[in-house]
Amino acid sequence: MSDTAGTGAVLVVGGGMSGLTAALEAAEVGNDVYIIDKNPYFGGRVAQLNRYFPKLCPPTCGLEINFRRIKDNRKVRTYTMTTVKSVSGGPGNYEVQLETAPRYVNSNCTACGACAEACTDEIDNAFNFGMNRTKAIYLPHEMAFPRRFVLDKDACSSASLEAVKAACKYDAIDTEMQSKAFTVNVASIVWATGWNPYDPTKMDNLKFGSSPAIITNMMMERMAAPNGPTGGKILRPGDDKEPESFAFVQCAGSRDENHLEFCSYVCCMATFKQMTYIRERYPEAMIYVFYIDLRTPGKYEHFREKLMGDEKAQFIKGKVADIIAEDDGGVTVVAENAVTGAKIQQKVDMCILATGMQPALGEQGKAFGVDMDGNGFVVSDPDKGMIAAGCAKSPADVYTCGQSSTAAALKAIQIGR
Amino acid sequence: MSMNVQPDLDFIKDIKSAGGDTLKKCFQCATCSVVCPLSSDDNPFPRREMVFAQWGLKEKLVGDPNIMLCHQCGDCTAYCPRGAKPGDVLGAIRAYTYKYFGWPAGLAKLASAGKNMPVLIGIPAVIIFVVWLISGGMTIPSAAEFARDGYGHFFGHWDFRWLAKNVFFIDLIILPTVALSIYAAYRGVSAMWQKMAEGAGVGEALYRPSVAQFVKELLWPSLVEIVQHTRFKKCVANADRIKGHLPLLLSFLALFFVTVYSAFTQDFLGIFIPSMHGPLSMWNPVKILANVGAIALIVGVGILWGNRSRMEMDGQATHTFYDWFLIWMIMGVGVTGLAAELLRLIGVASVGYVVYYLHLISVMMLFLYMPYTKFAHLVYRTFAMAFERYRDSAYVKNPLN
Repeated sequence: MSDTAGTGAVLVVGGGMSGLTAALEAAEVGNDVYIIDKNPYFGGRVAQLNRYFPKLCPPTCGLEINFRRIKDNRKVRTYTMTTVKSVSGGPGNYEVQLETAPRYVNSNCTACGACAEACTDEIDNAFNFGMNRTKAIYLPHEMAFPRRFVLDKDACSSASLEAVKAACKYDAIDTEMQSKAFTVNVASIVWATGWNPYDPTKMDNLKFGSSPAIITNMMMERMAAPNGPTGGKILRPGDDKEPESFAFVQCAGSRDENHLEFCSYVCCMATFKQMTYIRERYPEAMIYVFYIDLRTPGKYEHFREKLMGDEKAQFIKGKVADIIAEDDGGVTVVAENAVTGAKIQQKVDMCILATGMQPALGEQGKAFGVDMDGNGFVVSDPDKGMIAAGCAKSPADVYTCGQSSTAAALKAIQIGR
Repeated sequence: MSMNVQPDLDFIKDIKSAGGDTLKKCFQCATCSVVCPLSSDDNPFPRREMVFAQWGLKEKLVGDPNIMLCHQCGDCTAYCPRGAKPGDVLGAIRAYTYKYFGWPAGLAKLASAGKNMPVLIGIPAVIIFVVWLISGGMTIPSAAEFARDGYGHFFGHWDFRWLAKNVFFIDLIILPTVALSIYAAYRGVSAMWQKMAEGAGVGEALYRPSVAQFVKELLWPSLVEIVQHTRFKKCVANADRIKGHLPLLLSFLALFFVTVYSAFTQDFLGIFIPSMHGPLSMWNPVKILANVGAIALIVGVGILWGNRSRMEMDGQATHTFYDWFLIWMIMGVGVTGLAAELLRLIGVASVGYVVYYLHLISVMMLFLYMPYTKFAHLVYRTFAMAFERYRDSAYVKNPLN
């Protein structure tokens, strides 16, 4: 795999919207590009959204065209379930050790689904944040690219494995598949490693887990998505009640030195967006938004004005710092209204924690020679050919990620030329 | 709506220098008011106090009962997303309040800064030393005398049957000190009460409670609450502090009783029955209470000492002279007192006399600086708790509307 040495090839780590964009921009001007993702699919967080900014499109809209471009471009080589093991060398000639975890399903797979029907074991559906279960051999989601099943071998009994193998008429299932290490030589590396939703159990006072009525904003996206666990219905987990009232808890973990010190940038807009999901389904529901400040940058200000005009929505300046599970399945959120100076105990049927973005790369990035700031975001060093893109660089919406990824590609192709 | 805020910059500087240096980090998210276990639904704190302090609204804060109702559990500080340490800021505002209401102002100011430590120790040291000189008692007794009289002849001895020389000189030092302390506390608390009444918009009382009503309905329930540590028990982040404060408070009550008993027997009964003078037998129930009290005092303040050090190491509290001065003073009283007693029992008069001198200094410091140091919470917080009851009582709130 060293056929690209000295040709200005680019490695893009992370195959979400940012990584895809950077990879395509670099490839479409003629550079060889490797794009890897640790998931068994490309599309990252955007794939999990119901709709996304700026135009509130469903994710199929933006992702499909990018997948099309990748399929049509012979310069891009894609690797799912693949992670970086080590980075050596220098700008213009990095030698990167990669490792692909076994998928146990080879490229013969046509995604016919016969294996899943035969499989008797189930696992929590990680794509839906565990809100439903899926067979242990599964297509990660309905528009997954590559369109190929993946097997969670450890979750399967041997009988189930045999049944799965027998069901596949394309000989696509290989339970003996091993992880595969390989090396690529590239001129520069684009880190588009994205983000994870901040773990809500870390805010002990918000008591995530004490009641199924407390969900996160990403869970809300999955619930509202037509391909989600509820088929697009917003129902209270546990008892499937149609909620009559909702509370949004802004800055759940963000702007908090005990958790994420920074503003996650998207959560206010995500909440406004999710208010539209609620309104489409429940025109009469009460919505309470508890916030410190509402941050709606640039043109999004108009979106805020529109949603704040909602007569059945209340906006309370004061952070929710306690949530109490109630016997009827609802929760009471507690905050001080900083405008009136009174404490509020608001009972609601469902509560959405607007959790923020935790950079996904983590400490291991330093071992790869990546510069990171105190919060774990990648600091670009174009001279070194180490370039950050999207939410690996700073919290951002998809629109801004598109810009930063294109910029990253432009910097990446200048190395080794 | 426009608002004309006139910040008192000196006040802000004062708070920042007295342990509230994190004040300006607050961004008013109000997490603190919710996690505070003592904050009520109608009058939540400390979020509002934080913004008042940022704006330098001194007048609003010195008359705000919430400042005194705060027990510095530290739950707010633990959950504060900005490291603004509301608990420490309110502590610094309390320190400021004692100085603000302190009388005489010079003494109050003196007792508020660590750099004045030499003077703060020097004042009682010099006074007691001079009195000791004047008394002419400055001779180290023989072993036999020391065993018989203990420190009873510290200020010498005369054969007036009606007032022992030692008692006379001790009273000469302590009684004016206590009188000044009580008067200063009375002035301060009265002024605070008035400010709180103005701040709460209480205005003219519907009818004024009599002294008896005030004690029975407002003060006594507060005292019961204090002794039972009802509010302390609600603290979460700093729950261990009660283990130190409770023995300490009980030891103060015990030692207060012992002192009153001694004053009565030695200073009053001693006039008629001279044999009342001299050290008590170790098996006298009052002496046992005194010794238990002394040990409880040292243990209690020791726990608070360790607790505070740990909080500071964990970054959950700021190191301030205000907090430590009281701990040092009480530790000083306890250690010198117990050491003096032990030295008496083993008969080392020379060292014993020096330690006893130090004991008198530390006791005088505790009394003299009570109204201006953290010790002032003893009266200010008690009356703030009484005011909280008053504010919601039928004296000022017409129950019919």
